Amino acid sequence: MMVDPLHILIAAAVSWINFVTIDLIFRLPQQGGVSGAREIARQIEDGGGTLHGGYMMGNIVSSPDASAGTLLAACGVYIAGIPGGILAALLVYVGNRICHDPGYAGTTGALFATFIVYGFSLLGFSPAEFIAGMVIAILTIQGISAVYASRLLSILWRWSRA
Amino acid sequence: MNTDEAALIICAGIAAYATVRILLEKNTLRKLPFLNVLSFAVAGSIALLLPHPLSIIAAAAYFIGSTLESNAIASTYAGGIREE
Repeated sequence: MMVDPLHILIAAAVSWINFVTIDLIFRLPQQGGVSGAREIARQIEDGGGTLHGGYMMGNIVSSPDASAGTLLAACGVYIAGIPGGILAALLVYVGNRICHDPGYAGTTGALFATFIVYGFSLLGFSPAEFIAGMVIAILTIQGISAVYASRLLSILWRWSRA
Repeated sequence: MNTDEAALIICAGIAAYATVRILLEKNTLRKLPFLNVLSFAVAGSIALLLPHPLSIIAAAAYFIGSTLESNAIASTYAGGIREE
């Protein structure tokens, strides 16, 4: 199948919406789940960002959250279809417990992403496009500007509570 | 170029970009989000390069291990585990 840049951009947007929505539902920006996440948030705030956006970024760094779930589910579906996505969700669940994360954002994200990626594959999207899309999606949050990403996440966090 | 190659090029390109950002960032804790991006890109590349059922476990093990290391580094900078 030939590459379609539009498909990759749509996959990135869908992955972004999936993981940000689930992370907000699971209240990742509310507080740092572990002391390391709180310290990362403090450093991001010192650098000009916002505390609650920093908490979410720190939590993403410190434990597999819905973004990791989305990526690993896309990898699982790419390799082995829906069973691969379920296996990825199980591994994310184990990963959360290893990282002392009491939450279920990662597992929920992986299960949702499994069915989203499978559903889009019926529309002619390749799961490989979702792997690339999710890497682009995490780049926009964690990899460009911690200051602006944390401000954006804080705004979304305020909206989600309103 | 087919879809798999394009996805791999994107993952590898973003991994290289994240590496440069890690090297340029001076504050250790602020390096960690870039390291997180690198882990995403490498985990995606593992699945794209080796489409075998065990690769799901390899990619997940790599990613979770990398996350746990970031968690440990950040917790150490925060003063250890006394708060938990």
